Amino acid sequence: MTAVQDPRATELPETATTTLATRVRDWAAREPDGVAMREKHLGVWEEMSWAEYWDAVHTVGHALIALGVEPGDRVAVHAENRREWLISDVAIVAIRAMTVGLYPTNPAPEVHYLLGHSGSTVLIAEDQEQVDKALAVADDLPDLHTIVYLEPRGVRRYDDPRLLSWEQLLSRGRAHREEHPDAVAARMRSATPDDVATLIYTSGTTGPPKGAMLSVRNVEFAIATLIERGGFVDPPPTRSDLVLSYLPLCHVVERVFSVWFNAAAGVQVNFAESIDTVQQNLAEVQPTIVFGVPRIWEKVVAGVEIRATKATPVKRLAYRAGMALARRIGATLVAREGNHTLGTRVQYALGWALLFRPLRDRIGLRKARYAVSGAAPIAPEVLEFFMGIGVPMHEAYGMTENSAIATANRPGRVKLGTVGEPHAGIEVAVDERTGEICTRHPGNFVGYWRDPEATREMLDGQGWLHTGDVGEGVDGTHIRITDRMKDIVITAGGKNLSPSEIENALKASPYVKEAVIIGDGRKYLTALIGIELETVGDWAQRHHIPYTTYRDLTEKPEVVALIQSIVDETNARLAQVEQVKRFRLLPKELDHEDGELTATQKVKRSAIAHQFSDLVEEMYGGKGAAA
Amino acid sequence: MKRGATISGRPELRTSYRADMALLNSRPKRLGAGVILAAALAAPFLITDALLAIAALACAAAIGAIGLNLVSGYAGQVSLGHAFFIGAGAFTAAALTGDPGESVYGLGLQWIVAVPAAGLVAAVLGFLVSPIASRFRGLYLAIATLGLVFLGEHILDNWRSLTGGAGAGRRGVIAEIGGVRLDQPTEVAGLVLTTSQQLYLLALVLLVVLAVLARNLARSAVGRAFEAIRDRDIAAEVMGVRLGRHKMIAFTLSSFYAGVSGAVYYTVINQINPESFNLLLSVQFIAMVLIGGIATISGSIMGAFFITFLPRITRELPAIVPFLTAEPTLRDGALLTVFQLEAILYGVLIVGFLILEPRGLYGLWVRVRNYWKGWPFTY
Repeated sequence: MTAVQDPRATELPETATTTLATRVRDWAAREPDGVAMREKHLGVWEEMSWAEYWDAVHTVGHALIALGVEPGDRVAVHAENRREWLISDVAIVAIRAMTVGLYPTNPAPEVHYLLGHSGSTVLIAEDQEQVDKALAVADDLPDLHTIVYLEPRGVRRYDDPRLLSWEQLLSRGRAHREEHPDAVAARMRSATPDDVATLIYTSGTTGPPKGAMLSVRNVEFAIATLIERGGFVDPPPTRSDLVLSYLPLCHVVERVFSVWFNAAAGVQVNFAESIDTVQQNLAEVQPTIVFGVPRIWEKVVAGVEIRATKATPVKRLAYRAGMALARRIGATLVAREGNHTLGTRVQYALGWALLFRPLRDRIGLRKARYAVSGAAPIAPEVLEFFMGIGVPMHEAYGMTENSAIATANRPGRVKLGTVGEPHAGIEVAVDERTGEICTRHPGNFVGYWRDPEATREMLDGQGWLHTGDVGEGVDGTHIRITDRMKDIVITAGGKNLSPSEIENALKASPYVKEAVIIGDGRKYLTALIGIELETVGDWAQRHHIPYTTYRDLTEKPEVVALIQSIVDETNARLAQVEQVKRFRLLPKELDHEDGELTATQKVKRSAIAHQFSDLVEEMYGGKGAAA
Repeated sequence: MKRGATISGRPELRTSYRADMALLNSRPKRLGAGVILAAALAAPFLITDALLAIAALACAAAIGAIGLNLVSGYAGQVSLGHAFFIGAGAFTAAALTGDPGESVYGLGLQWIVAVPAAGLVAAVLGFLVSPIASRFRGLYLAIATLGLVFLGEHILDNWRSLTGGAGAGRRGVIAEIGGVRLDQPTEVAGLVLTTSQQLYLLALVLLVVLAVLARNLARSAVGRAFEAIRDRDIAAEVMGVRLGRHKMIAFTLSSFYAGVSGAVYYTVINQINPESFNLLLSVQFIAMVLIGGIATISGSIMGAFFITFLPRITRELPAIVPFLTAEPTLRDGALLTVFQLEAILYGVLIVGFLILEPRGLYGLWVRVRNYWKGWPFTY
């Protein structure tokens, strides 16, 4: 970034409403040289100070005004997590427009839908890949007049009047700033709590994505509840905390942990190079606060177990001894809601010297003072593993429509299998008739963009948000979630079953990546299981089973037998009606581009059942038994 | 937290190339280097003078080994001529510090002047040889530099006015700094330092300075050019590395280190014989580099200490091993003399290291370090 103006030299605009933009501006005034974020570029973690951050936000704000973005207009961002994402997001809020985040994995038809439905006028796209997707559909999008690209490689020679490079955007911003030095400040002054700050498109496991409108008031309430009052991280985050930003920023949780944590508490954001390098980047950054979806935590555990089996005998012995300690510590902690006893402290000290310190160092959690899992249900075994090795792990619950504000496990009051207690100062209720969880607080969203009907389904007259999740109270304080309401399976025998619990029990095995339970209106339950290529491939190698592709691996009788043993093991812990009678292995890895997963890697049940209907019918048609 | 500051406890979170390339880029490295340096400085007061004298020789040898490692290890130019440059340095320093009245040349200059001059004379010789040497490669270069050793041996044997001639030799380098003779005990601040203590400390300081310089060179553009030439000279040239120029730099620098090494070595030993600078000496230095670790500075130092202390260790063996004798000839039913054992050990160690651990002692250290670094995994 060039030509940084001293933020103290520019006059601070006065605003009645606190927004993300005013927060970033205030950090720049207070700590101009403090590190706001880091991004690994050509092998080095380049730092960006608050002054540079605010300067860039200010310039981009001017540039967007110069491009004709008015308050209430939508500006889309289609990029991996990087500095420009945060700069754009805050700049968009500063000029009172709405940020629309697109998943980098969104294929062109979805890009078409999202840009068209939101009516975005400006798109900030990362590179040639994303620009190509947009250009393929741009002629059908009359509102879209400018596409800004961040990486010029491959795009430089494109000849389209709508294209603009990030550098050109900045120079336009600078020119506009010279001419109208007060333009952005004026917009910030006129901001109100009712301004919609962002449209967050929910992944939509059933229908097309819906754009949840989150207002400035929603965001500020989330900051107050989740960050300042320690709802997600307790004690609350500060300047000296570090996070690794690696989940898509268009998802509400990553927005909370990256953009909002940063703007509200000054937490230093470090951008992972890509989702594939998360492990390495974690080890480099050693963040103090870590948020992960279950898939990430499961992957860490599986990786540890695989690498431990490959270690030398002495190291294996040390690992086994250490993990035996970890299991005892974990079990005690689980029983005592996360509180240590003298015994566990002594055991922990032993394990720390032997295993926990180096192990946590290797997986990048040595400095983790608070870890959070959310966005999907997680197997309790995985949480126990982390608690055992000394990573304070807390499951939390929330959704886009309530600005991620619902419940969380708090330190010292952790109940495994629950999503925790409602945050202070909000209302959470379980509908007595349906068991549906409802929330009421100022973080409840404004509504769905251009979809009043769907809004009415979610928000009732009394201000309650119907989450669509079925749950129950535990011990009067905590809440346990059974499943998504529409996912509940009713067998032909009339039993109501929650597929996700069975699926999670299966997914606790490192060999199982995906499990989809089928049984709605059927006599018994069956499962479609996707194997984890990495671990099963490794297992096959160790057992001298040659294979070529993923599909070939799934067809090996030994692999089917392996999965059968996992299914049998899981069945042993389940009631008769919940048992999986038959299963089939999915012949391919599920993918977003093929429409089998949502952008957040959630399985689209209906799509799977449809696409693999031959496998499903085989399980019920009696053509060949499972394995 | 300020920008560019190191972030405590996160050695891998490097925020600038400077931090990434720093010599001691992690806390364990800083700690380890500090401990080793402190131990080296405390050694004169902890071990006997006899051992200290050997340690001083080892420091001198280490300087020479670093020089050979620059040209052979880093730049990949096999040189058998190292003994020639060491001899050049030794006799230059001896002549510059020698008494003017004796039968051989002597200018009676200060040691501080003589040692750099010895390095420079050797460097000039290396520079003169480099145009020839840089036209050869591999085996041909080895043969060409081998010729240099024989040429040098012949000159030194016959240049009586400088070297005292074959069989006679001359007095070693006299360590006189500002009127203080370091080859005699001196009182410093109420503490009497013996000759060995003084010479050891002198050699140690020179070694540390030259080792740091060499390490810095190795991680600079010149060092990277050396390694590019070693890995594939044609590819290096295509990338824009000037072969002739860098080979010249390698030979000149290597010779400078050899010259200084010779001057310091013969400050500790006070008799120089011209026939010492033969092929065997070159081979000894090659053994240091191979056993210590190719293309590592710390490996060169380890190798030099190992090879220099090897005779001392084998001399202890007859007490433990029955069929060994410390006498120069075989008697009382002994099967081997320690000198024969030494020669055998050189061979066995070189072959053994080449087969089992081509990265030498340094490689062994890396293995140990990685074992613990990887804990609790293997990789």
